[in-house]
Amino acid sequence: MSRLSLPLIAVVLVGAVLGVQVAAGGGRYVPVSPANPCTPVSVPPIPAQLEPLAEQIVLLGLDSAACQLGISRERLVLALAESRTPNPRESAALKAGLVDAVDMLARQGRLPKVSQLLPQALDQSNLPGIAKTIIEAIPDSVVDNLLPTAPLLRRTIDELDINRLLHELNDPRQLNSVLQSAILQAALSQILGRLHP
Amino acid sequence: MGQGSQLMGTDRSDQPAIPLTGRTATVVALSLGVAVVLGDAGVVTLALPEILRDFGAQVWGVAWVLISFNLVLALVAVPAARLCVRGDPAVATAGGVIGFAAATTVCAVARSLGVLIAARAAQAAGGALVIVGSLELLVATTGVERAGVRRWAVAGVAGAALGPVIGGLLTSAFSWRAIFVVQIPIVLLALPAAIALRGRVVQRRRPTPDTLPDRPHLLANLALALLSAALTAALFLLVLLLVDGWSRSPAVAAVAVTAVPVAALAAGPVFRGMRAGTRSEAVAGSVLIAGGLTGLALLPGAQLAWTLAPQVLIGLGLGLSVDSLTAAALRDRIPRAIHGGWTIAARHAGVVVGLAILTPIFTADLRHAQTPAEEAIARLVLDAPLPASTKLDLAEQLGRRLSAERGRVPDLRPAFKALRVPATQAHAVASLENDLEDQLKRAATRAFRTSFLVAAGLALLALGPALALRDRSRS
Repeated sequence: MSRLSLPLIAVVLVGAVLGVQVAAGGGRYVPVSPANPCTPVSVPPIPAQLEPLAEQIVLLGLDSAACQLGISRERLVLALAESRTPNPRESAALKAGLVDAVDMLARQGRLPKVSQLLPQALDQSNLPGIAKTIIEAIPDSVVDNLLPTAPLLRRTIDELDINRLLHELNDPRQLNSVLQSAILQAALSQILGRLHP
Repeated sequence: MGQGSQLMGTDRSDQPAIPLTGRTATVVALSLGVAVVLGDAGVVTLALPEILRDFGAQVWGVAWVLISFNLVLALVAVPAARLCVRGDPAVATAGGVIGFAAATTVCAVARSLGVLIAARAAQAAGGALVIVGSLELLVATTGVERAGVRRWAVAGVAGAALGPVIGGLLTSAFSWRAIFVVQIPIVLLALPAAIALRGRVVQRRRPTPDTLPDRPHLLANLALALLSAALTAALFLLVLLLVDGWSRSPAVAAVAVTAVPVAALAAGPVFRGMRAGTRSEAVAGSVLIAGGLTGLALLPGAQLAWTLAPQVLIGLGLGLSVDSLTAAALRDRIPRAIHGGWTIAARHAGVVVGLAILTPIFTADLRHAQTPAEEAIARLVLDAPLPASTKLDLAEQLGRRLSAERGRVPDLRPAFKALRVPATQAHAVASLENDLEDQLKRAATRAFRTSFLVAAGLALLALGPALALRDRSRS
């Protein structure tokens, strides 16, 4: 038996094992990388409900904000989760990102009408029963004419206190209160704007 | 054959014959002593995660439980061998057994990491006397030099290979302290054997400087040191990957890493028939160990099955190279105990160097793996088909887990257990939990890659001295 035989057998065995492993994905078994936030994403159909709509706007808004800041969406979320107090640059990027998200959904015709969202919004609101009854009596066409969705959402975002919103993330009741307050304020401003152009 | 072998005359040792009565029992007792001491070098490997938790220590601190033993063994092996040569090896062995048993008792009851590390160092000092003394006693007992040396080498390889497995099983069944409790009666078996051999071992006449150089076999010992450094990675890192990275129990990890000792023990019957010679065996062994470690660096998944083939390569390499190189380092060299001491010193210095090089690399990589793991978790949670309120709840729980276990691979299960969701979301939540666990395993596996590749590089370095070896002759 040649003295080279044993080393050659070793090389063949090693080659076979490594070949199988590389063919099966060895070396590529790594965590999923964050997606490029500047790449446009396809938006799934949004049910005419507040939570899915808000979630979609937030997800698209995070992409847009992260793109502006030059970091990944995931890094931005983790940074916000850790500090809970965005710096002015992050705060501005977040607001601009959310507005971009509303614009994009509006362009794609994905925004539900306010009349579709109103029953759920009233149900969750703290308004007195009489007020809810009066609002429910308003015809849908009037509601949608007075409160087009995209401008309402833009105003809502404008009204939002991003710092407070982030601080209330762990308390669903407070979070709802912050959002409702912003939506109500935006709706009033928009109605007043329509009445007094 | 050189002049050294002429001095030896034949393969038979020139010790007085030991009576056949009790010879087998003596050989078994001494071999067990050698296996226990050399197994001790890695026996706590699988227990390290539990020791880490018990003492609330960091990986680097716990690594000293391994490093202290191997460092002291490397430093003390040759002086212990000189003591054996100057005095009676049986007395030295008996003293070593008592010292090792006493230090092992302290290890078993240690209440702090500092005490455990100090007791491990004392264990190594006693263990060094047991190992080098047993070499002389085994040759004297068997009456045949080659048989005695081979038994000593095989006992050492078996101990080193089986140590982590047995340690893992004991840790899993009882606790890490059981590892030390079990060792005490086994090593004490060597005490009556050593006492019985007192005054029976006659030191061989030292050769004159012009007929036989009394220098250690540099090439064989260097190759042993480099391969031991690489093998440290195979056992130490693989176990940490299985237990800490992939969240396997020590018992499962112990069973999984049996592939190394099984393959090591099979290497002899499989390849020795080829009679390839020391150099070919050492070269093939180095290639197999380097290839196996590269395989561990390129795992395609977190299933135990993927580790088997690389482990088999490492085991075959271990079985081929270590006892072949040990035999080459001892062949025709006297005093035998001192050359045995040099092989032990080389192997354990290699382990220390391996740990010193690899531990900072993989602890740093584990820290750096945190960012991609967190980003992957954030991405999957953000994109999960779950309502925003559930995602917010989950994110809060996950954040707590990640903060609590900073620097270690986190256990995310409590975060999911704390989550209260309606039945309609249960499937999506379970699926997300699996996906997140997978991402953590990916991050942990990736974190160990560089260390395994560096270890493979150490095994490849051993090719240098292995290629320079002369078959069946002294360098």
